[in-house]
Amino acid sequence: MVKAKTIIKNAPKIKPKVAFYGITGCAGCLLSVLFNEDEILDLIELIDLKAFPFIKEVNVEEKYDYVFIEGLVASKEDLEEVKRLRENATFVVSLGACACTGCIPAYRNFTLKENYEHLLYKKVEDLEDVQPTPVDMHIKVDHYIPGCPPNKKEILTFIRSVLRGKIPIPYSSPVCVECRQNGNECLLDVGKPCLGPITAGGCNSVCINGGLECWGCRGPSKDMNLELMIKILREKGFDDKFIQDRMRTFAGLKLPMLDEVIKHTKEKVGAKNE
Amino acid sequence: MSKESHNLVNKENNDNANKEITLNHITKIEGHAKLDLSIKEGKITKCELSSVEGSRYFEGLVLGRQYFEAHEITSRICGICSSAHVIAAISAIEDALGYTPSKQTTELRKLLTIGERIRSHSTHLYFLALPDYLGYESALAMAPKYKSELKRALALVKAGNNIVRILSGRDLHPVSATVGGWLKLPTQEDLEQLKTELLNVKEEAVKTCELFFTLKCPDIETEGEWFSLKDHNEYALFGGEFCSSKSCFKRTDYKDFIKEYHEPRSTANFVVKSDHRYFVGALARFNNNHAQLSSDAKKLLEQSGIKLPSKNPFHNNIMQAIEIVHCIDHAIKICQELKIKNEPVDKVPLKAGRGVGCLEVPRGTLWHEYILDDKGVITYANIITPTAQNLLNMQEDIKTLVPAILNSKTKEDIVMDVEKLIRSYDPCFSCSAHFLEVNWEEK
Repeated sequence: MVKAKTIIKNAPKIKPKVAFYGITGCAGCLLSVLFNEDEILDLIELIDLKAFPFIKEVNVEEKYDYVFIEGLVASKEDLEEVKRLRENATFVVSLGACACTGCIPAYRNFTLKENYEHLLYKKVEDLEDVQPTPVDMHIKVDHYIPGCPPNKKEILTFIRSVLRGKIPIPYSSPVCVECRQNGNECLLDVGKPCLGPITAGGCNSVCINGGLECWGCRGPSKDMNLELMIKILREKGFDDKFIQDRMRTFAGLKLPMLDEVIKHTKEKVGAKNE
Repeated sequence: MSKESHNLVNKENNDNANKEITLNHITKIEGHAKLDLSIKEGKITKCELSSVEGSRYFEGLVLGRQYFEAHEITSRICGICSSAHVIAAISAIEDALGYTPSKQTTELRKLLTIGERIRSHSTHLYFLALPDYLGYESALAMAPKYKSELKRALALVKAGNNIVRILSGRDLHPVSATVGGWLKLPTQEDLEQLKTELLNVKEEAVKTCELFFTLKCPDIETEGEWFSLKDHNEYALFGGEFCSSKSCFKRTDYKDFIKEYHEPRSTANFVVKSDHRYFVGALARFNNNHAQLSSDAKKLLEQSGIKLPSKNPFHNNIMQAIEIVHCIDHAIKICQELKIKNEPVDKVPLKAGRGVGCLEVPRGTLWHEYILDDKGVITYANIITPTAQNLLNMQEDIKTLVPAILNSKTKEDIVMDVEKLIRSYDPCFSCSAHFLEVNWEEK
C-alpha cells in the first residue's frame, strides 16, 4: 500500500482537476478505478473530473492538476497523446504496469521479429507503430502506481492522499516482505520461478496468495540482487532463456542490465567449475 | 424518456443529404475505434469502422514460451474479460495435450466466467450504454438524479467481481486458474458466502431488466446471421458446437468456416464466415439457446415483449440485462451443488499437438488456438475475439441504420444513434473503447 508524506500543511480547498486517459492497453487499470464499488461515487464528488473517455462522452481539454495515464506508447497517436497530456498536467501519474514498465506489450522488444512480423496487420495509413515503451521513456512522469492490474485500493489511497495535500511515496520493499507477513509458503522453495525477491511490493503479494509465483509486474525493487536471483533460478533448474523471458515479460525495459548480469554470472560459474 | 421518442422538426434536415462524419475516437467502449462516414445525395458512399488501438501482437508474444505461460500472457489482451482469455487459453492448451479437466475444475472455471459476465454486462449496461438512452454524457453525470440506479449498477459489478476475486485472487487478470486445475481452491464457506451475496443482489438484476425494457430503440434488422455455441446439456458456456439457426460447425474445424482478413486501416482483423458477415454475443446466444435459460430469466424475456429470434442489434443490451439474471441463477446453482474436494493441480504429460479453446464470453464466442512441440513450447497461436467477429456486422448495420433516420433526425441525433448502435454490440477494441469525437464536415 502507498504510504504518504505531508507536503502541504493545509489541504487545497478547491477540488483538484483530474483526468483519466487510456492509450494502448487493456482498459484494466481504468476499470480498477471504477471497481472501487463502495467508494467511487463519493470519491467522484471530491474531485473535479475533467476527462475519463472510457466512461465519459464530454472530456474537457484544459489544464489538469492530475492526469492518470493507463497504457503504453505503441503508436504515433499514443505518443502525441502523452505529449499533449504532459503539457496540460501539473502532475502525471503512470497508472498500471503498461504505463510504468511497458508490461507484456513491451516484451515484444525482446522477441524475435519473425514471431510477429506476419501479424503486422496494421500498416494503417495514419497510424504508425512505434517501439512499445512505457510512458516515462517519452515524457516526465511524477508518480507511479504500478501493477498489472494495480491494487484498486492503492488507486483510492493515492487519490485520497492527494486530496489531503499529501504526496504518496512508493512502497520500496520487495514482494517477499508482504508475502512473508501473509504467511505464504515460499514458492521458490517448492521449485517455482518466483520473482518476488527482485520485484517491488505493495501488491500485498496477491499472486502468491492465490498460488501463482510472482512474474514481476510491479517492476524491479530498489536494491534488488539480480545476480542472486539468477543464481537461485538456475539452481532450481531453469535455463537462461526461461529466466530471461520471465524477467522480461512484465518489466524487460526496466532491466537493461539483464544480458550483462546473465553473461557475467555465467563466467563466474564457469571459472568456479574449472 | 429516451431521445428516440421526440419528434422535433429538424431545421438542418436538408443538410443531411451530404455529410461527412468522422468519429475519431469513440467514447464509452473498451479500446479505441474510429468511424468514417460519408453521405452524398442521401446515400452512404463510405462507411468504415476501424480499430485504432496500438498493436500489441499477443499471438507473436507467446511464441517460444512454455505451455503453462500462455494464459498469463493472453490475459492481458483485455481487462474486463481477462478471465475469458485465461480460460480459453488454458482450454486450448489442455486440448493440445489431450487432457480433460476434472468436473470440479470445469465447474469452477464456469463460475469464474459467469462472475466475469455479471460484472462485464453490468459495467457495460450502466456505464457505457445507459447514459445515451437517458440523455446524459456519462453515468457519473446521472448521479444526482439516478443515484439508486448507479448504486444498483455498482452492487451488481461488485457481486460479479467478488466471484472472480474469491475464485481467482483478484478482480482482473486472475491468478489461480492454471493448466491442469486450480492453484488455490476456494473453500466451501467461500461458495456459501457467494451464494448469499448473489441471492441478495438478484433483485437488482431484475430491476435492471425492468429499466432496460422501458428504453426505446430504433427498429432495424441486421442482415448478418447469428452464431453461438449450442450445448445440449445447458445454456452454452464451454461446450457444444458453433451454430446458427441453419448450421452447426465443429469447433476444431473453425478455420474451415471462419476467415480472418485485414483492412489496411484497422488494427483489428475482420472476420467472416463463408464470406458472410455474422454476429455473436448475448442476442445470438438468446436466439439459439433461450429455451435453456433459468425460469426467472425466461419470465423476464416474456415480460420484455421481444419475440425471438430477433435480428435487431439494439436488443443485445436487453438480452444482456436478462442474461445477468440467468448468470446469477446459474452461479447460485454451482455454489449450491459443488462440494469442494482437495484436488491438487494435475501434472499434465507433454506431447506435441494442436488445441482449440472456444467459449461463450460476455461479448460472444472467443477462440484460442495453440500448437505445441513435444517440449511444451508454443510454436503457433491464433486468437479470434468476439469484437473482431462483430466488427463487419457493426459496420454494415450502420449502413442500414443511417438511411432509415437520415431525414427525420438532426445530425446530433444521427450520431447519437450510430454511437448507440456501436455500443449495443458492447465492442471491446482493447480486445480490439473510449470515445466518439465527432467531426462533421459538410460538403
